[in-house]
Amino acid sequence: MKRIYLLSSLALLGLGALFAYTQGQKPLDPFEEAMRQRQMYLETFGILPGELFAEEGKELFYRKGPSGNTLEACDFGKGPGVLEGVYAILPKYFPDSKKVEDLESRVYTCMQTVQGFKPEEIKRDEVRAITTYIASFSSKAKIQVVPKHPAELAMYNLGRELWYTRAGARDMSCAVCHDQYAGQRVRLSPVRSPKQGLGNEWPAYRFEADKLYTMEDRIDFCYESIAIPKPESYSEVHVALTLYMLAEATKAGHSFEELPFFTR
Amino acid sequence: MKRRSVLAMGFLLLGLGLSQVGPFKARLEAAIKESGEEFARVMLSQDRGQALCTQYRDKIPADLMPKFLEEQKALIKYPADGKLLGDWKNGEEVFTDPKRGNCYACHQGVADEVAYGTMGPSLLNYGARGQSEAVVRYTYEKIYNAWAFVPCSLMYRGGVHGLFTPEETADLVAFLLDPESPINRR
Repeated sequence: MKRIYLLSSLALLGLGALFAYTQGQKPLDPFEEAMRQRQMYLETFGILPGELFAEEGKELFYRKGPSGNTLEACDFGKGPGVLEGVYAILPKYFPDSKKVEDLESRVYTCMQTVQGFKPEEIKRDEVRAITTYIASFSSKAKIQVVPKHPAELAMYNLGRELWYTRAGARDMSCAVCHDQYAGQRVRLSPVRSPKQGLGNEWPAYRFEADKLYTMEDRIDFCYESIAIPKPESYSEVHVALTLYMLAEATKAGHSFEELPFFTR
Repeated sequence: MKRRSVLAMGFLLLGLGLSQVGPFKARLEAAIKESGEEFARVMLSQDRGQALCTQYRDKIPADLMPKFLEEQKALIKYPADGKLLGDWKNGEEVFTDPKRGNCYACHQGVADEVAYGTMGPSLLNYGARGQSEAVVRYTYEKIYNAWAFVPCSLMYRGGVHGLFTPEETADLVAFLLDPESPINRR
């Protein structure tokens, strides 16, 4: 209840700020603007919207599923119960599910196999919140996604191919903007390449949308903006693209931002 | 005898191997299909140009270039009345509409629009080029199908995909070239 009240007042504040922002005469640097907004939230409420999602995720993490287990029994990559730094090594191969999984699909898997939920009982918003909670343990961590297992290497190759695939009514691919034109802007949004650390800011609260975006949400947003319907949540396409981008960011030595991040 | 059957077996396996669709391609298609019906419908219906750009990572080899350009040129359609210079006012609407031109995503246009992208060249004062037949034709064809000039460019083939009609393309040309258009007025 407290969260709903806080979130709606945050939303109102955000709308006002957005209005002021779009009425400005000069194009503002969107990241500078995001940092200004972040400061304003902190001064007004003493808490950032992303932290509320992480808090909700924590409650859900310790909620017992039908089988009586909490998510403490799930192995997120460093053994059951370990959350410190796991987000920084995902996606990786999990022998129990025999799949390469990003954090979101891992949460989705464990809610079924460890907690006993049926797929249709699992709400996307809950997975978002739990993902945010777990990712907060990798805030500012060095990204360490290095494909080694054959399934991880295959997923990397798949991700790279998807990255270059030009399709849809706008003839787009990820690469044509995020490699060839990295450093430029689409409208006011700066575009980065994986080598420049693309992907290191999610999960993040986007004040312009007043929503929390995970990495999968962000990939969906990209696909939809280039006239390609978004892939289903927890799909191989998400995992493959995430693995490819974060493996490239790893090679370039990047770290995650403060997670959950606060962005435009 | 034994050697011969081993050899025969080898040939058989080789033939089988060569007749398969690349295993990587099959794996890719399976992943796309499993990731959603709508997503797969678009991702797996690439036209020839898109498939070539994907295959060659947006750098078409020199020997394939003439045919590529020729094929793209053939996709260009023109207004029934043959007029390539239309109405600039409607052109501005198509230019701005995110669902049609969406040109501000990459280009600077009218001076007081500050939220423009920088991936394409600025189009401010594009009309300084004049309205010769060559300029009008080039502008029309470039907007309708950018790949007929620069294969695999970021600039998409709006006309080819029907994002705007030939008549709307002519309106876009007018928006860029008409001296009265705000893109040419300071």
